[in-house]
Amino acid sequence: MVASLYGVDEEQKAVWVFLEQEGGKLTGVCLELLAKGRRLADQAGWQLGGLLLGRGVAELAQVAIAHGADEVILAEHPLLELFTVDGYSRVTFEVLMQYKPSVLLLGATPNSRDVAGRLAVRLRTGLNADCTDLRLDADTGLLISEVTGFGGGILALLESPDHRPQMSTVRPGVFPRGEPDRRRQGKVVRFPVELTDDVIHTRIAERIIGEERDLTQAEVLVIGGRGIEGHFDLMQDLADLIGGEVGSTRPPVDEGQVERERMVGQTGVVCRPKVAIVCGVSGAFHFVVGIQEADTVIAINSDPEAPIFEFADYCIVGDVFEVVPALVAALRPAPEVSEVSHG
Amino acid sequence: MDQTAQESEEGVIVLDDAWWEELMAVTDGAAAPCFQCGVCTATCPWNLVRDRFGSVRHFMRQAQLGLQNGDEDLWLCTACAQCEALCPRGVPIAEVFRGLRYTAWTRRTTPAGLPSLLWSVYWNNNPWTQPPSQRSQWAKNISLPDFDPDEHEILFYVGCTSSYDRRAQKVTLALVQLFEAAGVPYGCLGDDEPCCGEPALSVGHRPYFEEVAQQAADVFGERGVTDLVTVSPHCYDTFSSEYQGAHQGFRPSHYTQFLAELVQDGRLAFESPVDLKVTFHDPCYLARRHNETEAPRCVLDAVPGVQRVEMERTRMDTLCCGGGGGQMWLETAPGERLSDLRTQEAVATGANVLATACPFCIACLEDSVKAQGIQDLVVMDVAELAALGLGD
Repeated sequence: MVASLYGVDEEQKAVWVFLEQEGGKLTGVCLELLAKGRRLADQAGWQLGGLLLGRGVAELAQVAIAHGADEVILAEHPLLELFTVDGYSRVTFEVLMQYKPSVLLLGATPNSRDVAGRLAVRLRTGLNADCTDLRLDADTGLLISEVTGFGGGILALLESPDHRPQMSTVRPGVFPRGEPDRRRQGKVVRFPVELTDDVIHTRIAERIIGEERDLTQAEVLVIGGRGIEGHFDLMQDLADLIGGEVGSTRPPVDEGQVERERMVGQTGVVCRPKVAIVCGVSGAFHFVVGIQEADTVIAINSDPEAPIFEFADYCIVGDVFEVVPALVAALRPAPEVSEVSHG
Repeated sequence: MDQTAQESEEGVIVLDDAWWEELMAVTDGAAAPCFQCGVCTATCPWNLVRDRFGSVRHFMRQAQLGLQNGDEDLWLCTACAQCEALCPRGVPIAEVFRGLRYTAWTRRTTPAGLPSLLWSVYWNNNPWTQPPSQRSQWAKNISLPDFDPDEHEILFYVGCTSSYDRRAQKVTLALVQLFEAAGVPYGCLGDDEPCCGEPALSVGHRPYFEEVAQQAADVFGERGVTDLVTVSPHCYDTFSSEYQGAHQGFRPSHYTQFLAELVQDGRLAFESPVDLKVTFHDPCYLARRHNETEAPRCVLDAVPGVQRVEMERTRMDTLCCGGGGGQMWLETAPGERLSDLRTQEAVATGANVLATACPFCIACLEDSVKAQGIQDLVVMDVAELAALGLGD
């Protein structure tokens, strides 16, 4: 096997997080990785570093420090203002070759995945994609990445003993975020960037931020079907209480009860939420392919023979108009009972 | 001339020679015989559900001249072959549409989400993004004979939709019951069964289809398949009409044809009366594309008690359910679903059962029955009705 550009003997004992930013904010998965990276680094007695690229993003370095980073390498340049895979890969590569961290973690977002693949090839190292858990062996300094296959049916634990950095992209939402500590102190190191536009093959002609809702990123989905008879307010109540988005099958969309962008299924959105609560949905095949990647499916249907129950992890046989209001009532924070009433 | 086709501000239309040559190559000049009579436009079933429809004739003219306008109506064609049946020049119109769609693939102007269909065939060996390892899960409660050419009369080719779609699986299981009742030695390929490639072909990607077809033909060749029975008319059509080059000498038939043979040979008989009024919806890919309207009726008529009635549009004039030509992976707007009309035609016959013999027809028709709140009409497959006739 080809040796990586830097090896185990040259590595800096540090866990690094690639800090992807968008619209003046770090992405959620970066904050999750900082929290996880902090724990991994502490267990091994290592440093937690962050790598931040962009333009005018210095204050985000402080956010990363508040979330656990010891040191942030800040690479700013006008050509890094908007993400381009050429520019970001090139600069990241240069930084890595200078600092040689042992571990580099990236969020499994479209842009970071793009960078991760290129970097792994350039650095002649491996890449564990879309990981669902991470461990760091304190004795050997090996990162152990968990990858799932076939809808979670198979788990593989991967390590990269001889190649550096040990790279993994991590699925958003698998690790909890930590609470930021504004008093934490850390070091920000500016990395001089030399970049000319002839190395960037992408021209950003126009940047349009759609108003469309992206159900594919929702971690919790409450999905209503024909059986809820258009009562999407009920779905919304439940979704609000558990921090979810509302989705729909095709019939309510056809009836105009809900927007088309919320349609889940073969010709709608295919999503992979952690939890999908599916209400009054019979389970037509076209719909089911849209949620088969969900980690946990909870189905509520009055018909015990409904095909949806074959796909659900938890099956509630009952009237949605009884079950969902009861769920909503149970989840709603109870009104504060004053001391006086106890007498 | 190497300018791209575009309508300039002055309204001048420019021909695109490169595009035209590509289209000629992929359709083998199929549109050339068209003399623009317009019968295709007049008979297209989309007229029944749409006020405005980019005319079929217009598409033929564009294909002849090399004029492209990126018309989205290109993706409406269900390949039902109604136009082809009446075309005085015998133009393979659906094939021209596929060719036009292919040029959309090379120019990356296909509808959003459609590439994932091809990726699913590539990665999963089925168009439904289902795990390949679960292809034979429909048979989890029965013991499925692994195909052996020395022992088995037929290879029962289940197909993707009939393997994975929970509704269609019931039809697949009914067929197993029928084969067993008739004592037919049959075998399956289990998880090794290849996709026939129809999804790729239906959305116009012929080169990728050819790749899939070659792989499938290789599997059939290696396994010594001589007679193959499909559940779906779409797989049947693909094997019969599109496997010319890759054909390895196997003889495909649709299951209704095979069952009809069994009935005629006295190998399959029905004892248990099924007292239902049944109207049969001819799948386009069986009727118009293969002239097969008799076999399914022969099977239905062999079941005692079945009273068969016909809808207004029947046999070679059947009305498309709207599911062909890749429409299963595209969205059809409410109010424009041919299956809504078709189910109403079935209701008008007073039948209890709308029978058909295609998993796509079942999906579309059943959806329309539910969506329109039609009571007293159930959609069943011919195989399911026949299995009822076996009794217990």
